[in-house]
Amino acid sequence: MTARAGRTEALLAALLARGTWAASAVIALGLALGLALPGAAGSRVTSLGIALMILLPVLRVAVMLVLYIRAHDRRFAAISALVLAIILLAALLGARAP
Amino acid sequence: MAGSAYFGVWLFAVSAGASALGGTLGMASGIFIVPILTMFAGIDIRLAVPASLVSVIACSCGGAAPFLRASLTNIRLAILLETATTFGALCGVLLSGLVPVAALYLIFAAILALSAWQMLARRAEPTPAPANAADWASLLRLHATYPDHPHGGEIAYRVHRVKLGLALMYGAGLISALLGIGSGVLKIPAMDTALRLPIKVSSATSNFMIGVTAAASAVAYFARGAIDPAIAGPVALGSVLGALLGARALMALSGDRLRLFFAVVLVLLAAQMLLAAAGITLPVAGA
Repeated sequence: MTARAGRTEALLAALLARGTWAASAVIALGLALGLALPGAAGSRVTSLGIALMILLPVLRVAVMLVLYIRAHDRRFAAISALVLAIILLAALLGARAP
Repeated sequence: MAGSAYFGVWLFAVSAGASALGGTLGMASGIFIVPILTMFAGIDIRLAVPASLVSVIACSCGGAAPFLRASLTNIRLAILLETATTFGALCGVLLSGLVPVAALYLIFAAILALSAWQMLARRAEPTPAPANAADWASLLRLHATYPDHPHGGEIAYRVHRVKLGLALMYGAGLISALLGIGSGVLKIPAMDTALRLPIKVSSATSNFMIGVTAAASAVAYFARGAIDPAIAGPVALGSVLGALLGARALMALSGDRLRLFFAVVLVLLAAQMLLAAAGITLPVAGA
């Protein structure tokens, strides 16, 4: 069990570390474009990078959901699915609120 | 907008500085970003909060890997508590439009004061309590071990009072969404005193949860178009860079003086926030 837990942790660590770099790189590209070019291209790319950064922890929960399903851990698969459902609900309700 | 490039560079540098300083004490920069944006950059707090949340996510995700690789993060406990933090964040986003700006400043001042107090108080390792094999933590197999480096073994620990922990985490999620902070200041006491986790496990697990908590409110702010890339972009990038530099400096600096310095800065920011709250209520009182 300890070995499997170690592998899960290594996978999540790699996902979060690389994801942070990737999203930061896109934000940096967008800011550089914004400085170099007139118009809204830079700010669109920056927004994309921001969206990637926000989705990174959500992706982490989705990965945990898949790992728990594969491990036949129904209770924790349900808990992971509940976290994803709350985030989805926040996106839907948040979009409407003022 | 000739000044906007200069403004972006300024935001980047200030965020990097705040994050590097915060990182030297293992604390997230989120609590400094909103005061900096509102007081020194003159940005509306309702724009500052969503921008700060993006940098809170970046710092949590960017800092999670070393804790995970060291097996300090209790990921089962984290995902369980995230049901409460994300639900709190959802409620916080829905409330955010209804809470007056002056009240936001007041709550922020209280959180800053609490942070200052926590910075000076020493955290003690929890004392062992009697085990109960039928509690939630046992049913959900939340008990775990973490490596004990000097001695090379594994230290087993038990998780206590999960229901109280969940209730406190709901509050932490709500405050995180309202103020644009990671709420580590509220998560740490919940983990230390309710769940009775070892300090290292508590810090690692709190950092791991902060990203998902902030993401739950950030998706909502993003969906309603409340995240301005010209503010959130430079702030997030600066925070990531600063957190990297701060973690490197963590070993080099002496702890106690830095703690005192930070406590003073936090108290000053709390006072500023109180003035801001008063400044905004004054015209209403005069009218």
